[in-house]
Amino acid sequence: MKEGDIMNMPALDLRLTEENLDDLYDNAPCGYCSCLPDGTLVKLNHTLLQWLGYQREELVARHCLQQLLTVGGRLHFEMHGVPLLLLQGHIREISYSLRTKAGAAVPVLLNAVLLRDANGDPLVVRVTLFDITDRRKYEQELLRSKAEAEAQREQLRTQNEELIRINADLDSFVYTASHDLRQPVHNLAGLFQEFERSATFHDPASGNMVGMFHGALQQLLTTIDGLTEVVQRKRELEQAPAEAVELQAFTEEIIRSLPAAVGEPEAVFTLDFGAVPTLHMARPGLQSVLYNLLSNALKYAQPGQVPRIAVRTAYHDGMAVLSVQDNGRGIDLERHGGELFQLFRRFHPDVAGSGVGLYLVNRLVHLAGGRVETSSEVGQGTTFRLFLPQ
Amino acid sequence: MDVLNRNNVTVTGTGQQAMVFVHGFGCNQHMWRLVAPAFEDRYRVILLDLVGAGKSDLTAYDPARYSSLDAHAEDVLDVLQALDLHDIVLVGHSVSAMIAVLVAIRKPARVARLVLVAPSPRYLNDTGYTGGFELADIEELFETMDNNYLGWSAGITPVIMGHPERPELSEELNNSFCNTDPAIAQHFARVTFLSDNRADLPHVRTPALILQSAQDALAPLAVGQYLHQHLAQSQLTVLNNSGHCPHLSAPQQTISAINLFLEPARIAQV
Repeated sequence: MKEGDIMNMPALDLRLTEENLDDLYDNAPCGYCSCLPDGTLVKLNHTLLQWLGYQREELVARHCLQQLLTVGGRLHFEMHGVPLLLLQGHIREISYSLRTKAGAAVPVLLNAVLLRDANGDPLVVRVTLFDITDRRKYEQELLRSKAEAEAQREQLRTQNEELIRINADLDSFVYTASHDLRQPVHNLAGLFQEFERSATFHDPASGNMVGMFHGALQQLLTTIDGLTEVVQRKRELEQAPAEAVELQAFTEEIIRSLPAAVGEPEAVFTLDFGAVPTLHMARPGLQSVLYNLLSNALKYAQPGQVPRIAVRTAYHDGMAVLSVQDNGRGIDLERHGGELFQLFRRFHPDVAGSGVGLYLVNRLVHLAGGRVETSSEVGQGTTFRLFLPQ
Repeated sequence: MDVLNRNNVTVTGTGQQAMVFVHGFGCNQHMWRLVAPAFEDRYRVILLDLVGAGKSDLTAYDPARYSSLDAHAEDVLDVLQALDLHDIVLVGHSVSAMIAVLVAIRKPARVARLVLVAPSPRYLNDTGYTGGFELADIEELFETMDNNYLGWSAGITPVIMGHPERPELSEELNNSFCNTDPAIAQHFARVTFLSDNRADLPHVRTPALILQSAQDALAPLAVGQYLHQHLAQSQLTVLNNSGHCPHLSAPQQTISAINLFLEPARIAQV
């Protein structure tokens, strides 16, 4: 503002600026009091007296400032407020509650300054108090929310630890159980073979039953192997470091290792990794995933038809997509979609299998931070798309 | 971290004997600044911050370890050992008066004299004992501390600490002298006010000065008399003062009383 602007401003009616200082002190919108260094009250304004419900004569020279506070507040004031006041000459924004004569609490913020005499000795303490009834409610709400959030965080942390522990326990239980079951089942197979060699069956139906017994034993062994594989693959993936896997050679190697289906036409594989030639993932995990998907594609081919299997990569929303598409039997996803990745769930009972493959694929992809999407049409074929973070 | 850094130990003064000052709850070694300098011409003066207070190593504050005053007593002993101090004068205020008592019991050879400023062996009332407070009062203190969460926060760097000669620097800082981490302050308050050291008192063999104000809400006269009765070689001096911090509100009286206790002959000559 330039000097000229001030000159041009309308003259202020000076009567409006005249304040009665005594009235301002007594009826200010805040509480005032002055105390001796030991806290003895020597002067209070009307506002403060009204809050407290005391007569001036009841307090002056008879009461200390500390006595107007709650006992807890007084402890705080003596241990923290007074030392601060003596050390730095002032205290600001300390939150206390005043006790009124009737026993009610008035939440206040306390500011104070210490005046010293010519020798530097404490002379008088001037105190200003602000009523913060509403603010205190809000602050207590905040404190409550904070305490709740902390309690919940703590609860989540313990629950998480518990879950991690249970998961590890479960894994070792499955591993131990499958490991311990394998030996007795093998013994059972051996004993039965011996029994079959030495025994003579008179009932013509016995031959059939022996065959069924073999089948059941085989199923038991497959299940046990499946369980062992689930745990082992997961452990391998947790231990193996992620690395860049060159897909063309890697997939060709897996295709060579697939068991040939006897009496069925040879499968035709189409590989196209142009879009994403390498994947960043633990090698054993990727091996297990691709092997299971490809062997499934062969196993569930349409009888008498040439299996055509395409393995491709693409990019989608910053993720690598590895897809395996076949022209096999397909799955009714409307009916079975929800159970597709469940352990030991099987959809084609006429084809041998353990019910572990897709469960493992899904679990390994999730462990690698990705997800699996499936589309399928009965009689037309199935496509699995693995979305993997890179 | 070595113990001298952990407890933010400062050493000044010259003399054959060392005088170690331990602050109470609610502040830090700055509490001694009106009293400690008066002894620097005759004593090695050692100030420290309890772990969790002032500029001590806050990361060393493990609530499990500091769930009793014993851990603080061990810390003080660590400092005495690190500085190779024996036959010291150990001055403790408020809760640290009891910490000093524990130090003297554990290693009597390290402590020649105890000066207990505004001490209390137990704040809560008990059958046949008046500590001055009920549990509800202490709960109210915790509530007040909660309401002053911001004020206790150590968010503001206490610049002034390094510039005692320039007090104007403190003007910009709000309540900066006694900043404390709120969570630690809460925990230390709990340990302080729920502790009971009455059973330790008969084990003290060190001559002790009990120094207290005539009016002190935290350590009433009855508590001072209780201590005097239960500390074998103790002397009770009541200062004509009001409040829990005579070393701040009546520094000259405090200095005189300590001098009289330590060197009665010298004072008599003067």
